[in-house]
Amino acid sequence: MTKAEELLEDTIGKRVLLLANEAIARGVLEAGVRLVALYPGTPSSEIGNNLTFMAPHIPNFYFEFSANEKVALEVAGAAAVAGVRSMMVCKGPGLNVAADPFFSLAYTGVRAGMVIVVADDPSMWSSQNENDSRYYALMGNMPMVEPADPAEAKSILLEAYEISEKLELPVLLRTTTRVNHTRAPVDFGRIRERPDTVEFEKEPYRFVPVPAVAKKRHPILLELMKKAAKISELTSLNFLHGKGELGIITSGVSYNYVLEALTTLELDAEVLKLGMTHPVPEKTIANFLKRHKKTIVVEELEPFLETHARRIAQLKEIDVEVLGKEQGYFTRTYEYSPRIVIEALSKVTGRSTSINWTAIDKKVKELPELPPRPPLLCAGCPHRATYYAIRSATRGKAIYPSDIGCYTLSIAPPLETADILFDMGSSITTACGIARVTDQDVVATIGDSTFFASGLPGIANAVYNRHPISLVVLDNRTTAMTGHQPHPGTGVTGMREEVPPLDIAEACKGLGVEYVKSVDPFGPMAKLVADVREMVTWVRENQAPAVMVSVAPCALLTAAERRRTGEYPPKYYVDSELCNACKRCLNRLSCPAMYLESETEKAVIEETLCNLCGTCTDVCPQGAIKQEDA
Amino acid sequence: MSGNNSNTITVAIAGVGGQGVLTLAEILAKAALAADYNVRVGEIHGMAQRGGHVMCTVRIGDDARGPIVDPGSAHLLVGFEPIETLREIHIVAENGCVLMSSHVQYPVAVSMGKAEYPPHEEITKSMKKFTDCIMEIDAMELAKQAGSSMALNMVMLGGILGTGVTPIDKDTAVKAVRSAFPKKYESTNIKALELGMSTVQELM
Repeated sequence: MTKAEELLEDTIGKRVLLLANEAIARGVLEAGVRLVALYPGTPSSEIGNNLTFMAPHIPNFYFEFSANEKVALEVAGAAAVAGVRSMMVCKGPGLNVAADPFFSLAYTGVRAGMVIVVADDPSMWSSQNENDSRYYALMGNMPMVEPADPAEAKSILLEAYEISEKLELPVLLRTTTRVNHTRAPVDFGRIRERPDTVEFEKEPYRFVPVPAVAKKRHPILLELMKKAAKISELTSLNFLHGKGELGIITSGVSYNYVLEALTTLELDAEVLKLGMTHPVPEKTIANFLKRHKKTIVVEELEPFLETHARRIAQLKEIDVEVLGKEQGYFTRTYEYSPRIVIEALSKVTGRSTSINWTAIDKKVKELPELPPRPPLLCAGCPHRATYYAIRSATRGKAIYPSDIGCYTLSIAPPLETADILFDMGSSITTACGIARVTDQDVVATIGDSTFFASGLPGIANAVYNRHPISLVVLDNRTTAMTGHQPHPGTGVTGMREEVPPLDIAEACKGLGVEYVKSVDPFGPMAKLVADVREMVTWVRENQAPAVMVSVAPCALLTAAERRRTGEYPPKYYVDSELCNACKRCLNRLSCPAMYLESETEKAVIEETLCNLCGTCTDVCPQGAIKQEDA
Repeated sequence: MSGNNSNTITVAIAGVGGQGVLTLAEILAKAALAADYNVRVGEIHGMAQRGGHVMCTVRIGDDARGPIVDPGSAHLLVGFEPIETLREIHIVAENGCVLMSSHVQYPVAVSMGKAEYPPHEEITKSMKKFTDCIMEIDAMELAKQAGSSMALNMVMLGGILGTGVTPIDKDTAVKAVRSAFPKKYESTNIKALELGMSTVQELM
């Protein structure tokens, strides 16, 4: 049984091991959500990955991988305005993309329940920043809930829909990586039915926030937040745990670390666990602060709850010490651990930690330095061939604006073809800015999914303003980094329907790009290098943008297909008679499937890791890398 | 007992992206749940997976709440590759054990000749500063013996069962393996598990 099949099971009470992301996908069924729209982003990816395979089997349900997060929020927001339950999902930076409709949605509100799931990434395991999305709730006046584990991810999601419908406002459900990517037992509940279609009732003086409407809606929103504050005082999502002199306020994943720390230190404390963190329950917090001379606030990233606690203490004139980040008990960077909480609580209470971490840290420092093993492009990745060609054609001297995807890994030696990156789509636009103020060649790279997500306005800008940039679209036929989701260029929808794919080269031509060429990264390398050189020369001569689309499927898709069919091309090997140990293949490609045989100093291909792309054959000046039976 | 582990069994699994670390952790945890234990798995996805160092945790027992394991807290550190095991050695508890596959997968810096892979004796010597209980198997060799290098993680699963550190019995684990993969891989996977288990039991 696949995970999606398991999530579809109508078995109330069944206990299943689920990631919080899978629990949220199941929650969509139990909440009777009619429409979900999202753009994939780690750490939220598995929500969509499961929903897309569940969707065709759910009656009256629509799921889409939207072109980007702004699009997704508008699609889902409109569905909730029309009167069905909807959901939008994104990673932290994705909510930045969707910020514009986010604020409008709070003003207009919705007619049926709507939840916006945002997954923040403390420690930046797979993100360009660790922005704390809780401030969106504060700034936009949107109620917010935060689960601590997979079971709560589902139960709080169900409650969020109830809150949303009471207020006719969307609710922000904020998670962090260690919630999204924790697996834990989750109990299945009842699957709720969804309506087929609803009648869209016109109400333009609510849903069209022209200034006259917006001026009325803002005070209404503030009134609704007062109502939300009452809900926050009464909801079971905010609860007390334990007893003790010390007070601890916490939310999200940190709650687990607090409980583990208390057990480890055998410490008594009263814990206020907040599941609804905007608006915070002010009376509850005030009463809590009154009961404790010292209250410590445990939360990752910014001092969000801590600032609330101080504000409330000042407002209600409560004599309490609020301890947290402001006094240096906790850091504002990276994710927490039980150790971090144990050490902070030890400092506050004077208790000693149970493990001698100082001794362990000292031993770690004495360890020999290990060769690093950073993530890198897979063996057989078509991007490696394209970047090799870009670098060879420009002798490493061009400026290489990069974008968001696996291919950002080309930052590492020896490819070193990532020089500047802000966000999704910025390869094209940063190239424009650089090309205007330098006389250096600029060769930008962007992935196929990112191209559709945020690249198109950049192309329009480059064409219209005649920016002299070369752009290579690395089209590996999927959204690879987040787990192979379809995008508008793939020909598959979120409902798993086959549709005509959008053609990237044609789209560029349609937008007025005069030089557009499609190439095969696994064709002869000399030709690929010549193609890049020709494009860069054309840009120099014509002072206008040029696009090259380098098309070959992601190596992981190719490998999976081969495993499925059992058909493999002949293996590659290094002919040690011909190899003169120049190491060019190793030094220029950094393919994980090749290594240096220490005795002979010659290159070897590790066949269990080789994905049979053959790029190395063209890189060897001796012709020593060969394919069997070929 | 130590750290955040008062009545839980904690297993940390380290390896290289693509070796099947995440899959092993999920199967181990499913087996634990099938045996009615509370369980938590900590994983990292996305960019970290692309051929880089990967670390996963499985915590079994009533007090397991969060996914993170502190230094000095793991009862068993399972390593798919020598230096990736050493990279996480700080996680092992004073009285904990290491189960390591001796098969080397060179990082690119080493392949390129820009860094040196430490000699095997130095790796084990460094580990012994943290624990004396170190079990080594060549999981790659055993996986190939079972029929496929892809079954590496099933050899390691068998190895974990062989250590007896977790409360999971072989039948429960085999059931979890059966339901996790297509039928055509079943015999290879179970053979791999059995080879891993018996090899480790002989070491004990």
